[in-house]
Amino acid sequence: MRFSPIPRRAVLAMAVTLASGLALTSPALAANPAEDFVQENIHKGLEILNNKGLAAEQRRTQFESFLLGLTDMKRIADFTLGQYRRSASPADVAAFEVAFQNYAVAVYQSYFAKYAGQTLKVTGSQARTPDDFIVATQLIDPNDNSGQQPLEVDFRVRTDSGKPVVVDFSVAGIWLALEERDQFTAFLGQNNGNVRTLIAHLSDLAKQFRTG
Amino acid sequence: MRVFQALAIGFCGLALTACATTPPTPEMVANRDPYETINRDTLKFNGKIDRYFVIPTVALYFVLVPEGGRRAVHHFLENLTLPTTFVNDMLQGELKRGGQTTARFLVNTTIGLGGFLDPASKMKIPDHGEDFGQTLAVWGMDEGPYLVLPFFGPSNPRDAFGIAADVGLDPTTYIHFKQHIWWDLGREYFTILDLRAQTFQTVQNIQRSSVDYYASLRSLYRQLRENEIRNGRAPKTQDLPDF
Repeated sequence: MRFSPIPRRAVLAMAVTLASGLALTSPALAANPAEDFVQENIHKGLEILNNKGLAAEQRRTQFESFLLGLTDMKRIADFTLGQYRRSASPADVAAFEVAFQNYAVAVYQSYFAKYAGQTLKVTGSQARTPDDFIVATQLIDPNDNSGQQPLEVDFRVRTDSGKPVVVDFSVAGIWLALEERDQFTAFLGQNNGNVRTLIAHLSDLAKQFRTG
Repeated sequence: MRVFQALAIGFCGLALTACATTPPTPEMVANRDPYETINRDTLKFNGKIDRYFVIPTVALYFVLVPEGGRRAVHHFLENLTLPTTFVNDMLQGELKRGGQTTARFLVNTTIGLGGFLDPASKMKIPDHGEDFGQTLAVWGMDEGPYLVLPFFGPSNPRDAFGIAADVGLDPTTYIHFKQHIWWDLGREYFTILDLRAQTFQTVQNIQRSSVDYYASLRSLYRQLRENEIRNGRAPKTQDLPDF
């Protein structure tokens, strides 16, 4: 029998997706701007996570700045609204973007400490369009002696706004923004498309995470 | 017992179809989840089984069995799945992966003392899982609508059939020895314990951070299965949505 409220690999992958200690090893020469971007910028995340001299609050603040500088939260937020983005009022969309950012940062921060010390190694990239790249990396735990294969972590990098930004990332094939869009649109479907209800729910979740 | 497992899957599918009297909304159809209403109820039912039966048992397992023992049980159970994995490797034409599965089974069954240890991983022989649901997908079968099966969790008709078929593909199904029913029951029981022990914290984290736990599981399940079917190979980038 396979009693499983959720498959094992899914939860492990999701845990890392939610929590990936965004870190990078010193990799080989990068092949394109997206790889360069992942290689150079995510390395900063490693430094924050592994800096034992930082107090918890300092680390939290620095990690938040790092995350917001690395990603295009507004774009991700709009994507996660799915079809409800078109029918929502501009004021609701703006409020949702703020609530989403608070939620995303709070959720990532609550987990990232568990994965501090792990590293990411860039292994290649694919160009989906001239300004849309998938950068492939591997998550490596230097303390793991199990011999298991490292997890594959991919970053989706857009360069169309002049500056490269991460818009999504996947662990073991699970894309986080896709998963969030599926959740949010299902929630809105259950709540008559009311974006304000979703905003209130996200704010509650963010508060819960911040207070531990 | 294993035959019962296969029958149970078939029964769940039939029961689900019979019970799905609520007409699906256009959104449910668009999400390839026409049975969403009953699926959500089944998820709640599974959650109760988990809360009142599985989790207390897992807690006891943690108290009674030290970490090393739990790891050994995990390796042993994983090793038992390798013959089925090998058959599915072959059915998918994955000769290299089939070789890796064979090597893992031989090494762990012998040097690994019947599978309780995992020297194959130390020897860098890659580990992977395969099942008949994946084989059907490789053969071109569509997954069909999303289902949450009682006791079994997230699935779809293709994967549900695959679970039942894997019972038939598993060589241990045909080994009948004295009191084998206790062996079957014990194996299933420890599989549940092992699975839940490994995923306890993570499931809790997902429940805690989810806006819609049901939709989160559905998305995770589908994305994960697609990745497993591709055997971890890079997806077609054109399949990804525009940002």
